[in-house]
Amino acid sequence: MVFSSLLFLFRFLPAVLAVYYIVPRSLRNLVLLLFSLVFYAWGEPVYIVLMLVSILVSYTGGIAVDSRKRRGDERGAKIALILSSVVSLSLLGFFKYADFVIGTVNGIAGTGMDLLHIALPIGISFYTFQTMSYTIDVYRGEAKVQKNIISFGAYVTMFPQLIAGPIVQYKTIDEQLRSRTETSVQFAEGINRFILGLGKKVLLANNAGALWNSISAMTVSEIPVATAWMGLAAYTLQIYFDFSAYSDMAIGLGHMFGFRFLENFNYPYISKSITEFWRRWHISLSTWFRDYVYIPLGGNRVSKLCHVRNILVVWLLTGIWHGASWNFVIWGVYYGILLLIEKFFLGKYLKKAPAVFQHIYCMFFVMLGWNLFVFDDMGAGLGFMRALFGGYGQGFFNQETVYLLYNNIILLVLLILGSTQLPKKLGNRICAAFSGNDTALIVIKNVFYAGIFLLSVAWLVDASFNPFLYFRF
Amino acid sequence: MTRKQAWNIITLFCIMIFGFTIATLIKPPTARSETENRDLAQMPEISARTVLNGEFEADYEKYLTDQFVARDGWIGLKTAVERAMLRSESKDIYFAEDGYLIEKHTGSFTSDTAALNVRVLGQFAEMYQDQFGAGHMTFMVVPNAVDILRDKLPAYASPYDEEQYLAQVKETLPEGMWFDTAALLKEHSGEDIYYRTDHHWKTLAAFYVYQSWAQQQGYYVPSPEDFEIETVTDSFEGTIQSKLGIDTKKDSIELYHSKEDIFYTVQKNDGGETEYSIYDYTALDTKSKYNIFFGGNHALVRIGTRQNTGRRALVIKDSYAHCFVPFMLKEFDEIDVLDIRYYNQKLSDLIAQGEYTDLLFLYNASGFAEDTSISRLTY
Repeated sequence: MVFSSLLFLFRFLPAVLAVYYIVPRSLRNLVLLLFSLVFYAWGEPVYIVLMLVSILVSYTGGIAVDSRKRRGDERGAKIALILSSVVSLSLLGFFKYADFVIGTVNGIAGTGMDLLHIALPIGISFYTFQTMSYTIDVYRGEAKVQKNIISFGAYVTMFPQLIAGPIVQYKTIDEQLRSRTETSVQFAEGINRFILGLGKKVLLANNAGALWNSISAMTVSEIPVATAWMGLAAYTLQIYFDFSAYSDMAIGLGHMFGFRFLENFNYPYISKSITEFWRRWHISLSTWFRDYVYIPLGGNRVSKLCHVRNILVVWLLTGIWHGASWNFVIWGVYYGILLLIEKFFLGKYLKKAPAVFQHIYCMFFVMLGWNLFVFDDMGAGLGFMRALFGGYGQGFFNQETVYLLYNNIILLVLLILGSTQLPKKLGNRICAAFSGNDTALIVIKNVFYAGIFLLSVAWLVDASFNPFLYFRF
Repeated sequence: MTRKQAWNIITLFCIMIFGFTIATLIKPPTARSETENRDLAQMPEISARTVLNGEFEADYEKYLTDQFVARDGWIGLKTAVERAMLRSESKDIYFAEDGYLIEKHTGSFTSDTAALNVRVLGQFAEMYQDQFGAGHMTFMVVPNAVDILRDKLPAYASPYDEEQYLAQVKETLPEGMWFDTAALLKEHSGEDIYYRTDHHWKTLAAFYVYQSWAQQQGYYVPSPEDFEIETVTDSFEGTIQSKLGIDTKKDSIELYHSKEDIFYTVQKNDGGETEYSIYDYTALDTKSKYNIFFGGNHALVRIGTRQNTGRRALVIKDSYAHCFVPFMLKEFDEIDVLDIRYYNQKLSDLIAQGEYTDLLFLYNASGFAEDTSISRLTY
């Protein structure tokens, strides 16, 4: 199930909210667990078994690690951790990467092994990383063991963040799982955040996606330069608004049930360098790789050569986490190399350059990155890149460019402004201007949020273009 | 945020999500959307098998979307907002000049079906060319409004050039069978030859094409004075308007009644009741007013006249032919109007038994390119 659907808004959400707040506090985690299972099972019930196995593996793993540590059996604890991690990673590896490996081996060795055609279980990369972080943190002593399987199950399956993140590390919500107080203010904040996310997804990201789709569907050799860049800009905006919208909705829904998840996006497109971009983009993923791969490998406290290796390993893994296909591998390595260049060479010069140049530099490489990211087929990706740089001799623009531009100009301007802090500042201004006048503020806020909600419903009723981008993750 | 603000937000949100939930639960399901002119999805049957393979879930979401309260209102709201955003199209429909809503037909002509249909049409023409003989087989594939009314499209719009596709159709046919309508319709593109809100051409366009065809065939070439023109409605909102759900300029429908009294009988499908008019005035009380012609699509309509011309025609068509066939009454003793989309028997049997002297193939361009039953022509 996805958040941006009538089914979620007018069947699932009211039901889970009603039941959650009617039952006694002690049953609330159970309610979350059961509803989350329905949420996950909707449309693809079979893979629920896989998720339950994954939960059991890390649940018992956590207990095993903890009990051995208590006995002072460090070696035993380590073995338990390794066992549980290997099983978790094997499940992820098999269900996500088996066909990729077979295809690659076939390609290199010329063998004819049959592909397994396994449908990728939605959200497997997200929940595998969550469960692994739990056992690792128990081993490190950074998280308490969770002996209540219902609470632990509720953590792993929690529908707000189940299928598209953010990746919530167990230690950050351990306390909240054991005891939390839902308040009206937090609930209302959650509503506003959720509606904002819904609007970002349905009204902005989907429309940007429609523009990208219409351009990427063109015959690539006939695309003039400006159209190609408009298309890539549309995708750049789509993926940000779509992905951050999911995080907004997740964080908002979390609030409605008394949880506080960490932020996942922090205006990535205002960055002045690639290094800064990755501190602002999909923060929960970068944090995960930093805490569980980069630092354990020695981070930057090793020889220069090992440091370079650590960075490349992290970015290779980051790439492949996003999907089992070569373009994601290359996309990851591309960022690894850019980050190395910034770290060891370009960074100090970049800082001295005018801010405008830094922004252009950063967005240029981010956009080229999305070009690598969006095409599974490397040939098609390179073809589109060729169009970006006028490699087909189609000139700078044509009639169609003008048409697409004036049809989408308001949308594009809204999207670009929306990816800066401007709307937030404007909102704060308005709130400040009416501070003291509670009634006016209530009216303004309610009209704004209800308006976005109702417009989103209109788009959903019309069954407009509404893709789910993360089924490869 | 104060507690007062918070409770206001919570109350409003709960009214919205619980309100629409209850409304959608108690609203009785609608079988059909008059505005959209299609059957709406119904509550799917639930079984272990359909739940496990995801079929039930997918159908249930379709059902929820189709049966949502005030569906037309939501769709209209969306289109209105898109127009306010200065968009000159929505759902592949241009908001063109003079209140014309014009479908783009993106991708229709470059699909595999489109290419297959061209090949099949060529084979079909060759199969029967000896039987009918030169000058007795005519193929008309009429361009859509998007091609003829180019001047009315939004600035810089550059939809697919349908004539590229029509050139392929012409190419595949034996010499002398293709009848070009594009040039003629373009000459009249300043007149009301397409509906503003519907995907069909207007009777006037059919009249011009008939004139030109009659001339080629050596039939009597009618002039407008030969007809009593009746405007049967001026509140027609067609299929394109339905997709957008907004208020636009409405259309009129004209019938051309021949001043010369031509007696004819109409029999819809085998064994149907004999009727004495092509026109079904009851269609005017419904949304689908274009169905005044023949009462909509039928697999086979047999029209008999007492004209004693010795000519018997088979018309293989889509609904563009519905306003064209009335002009043919004067020239044929029998006209069999066949819709291959609904005809389940072998076409070769019908042609073998029908003693036809002439064959007319009449489709609209996007309809032809998209039609998945064209391959049945050669059965």
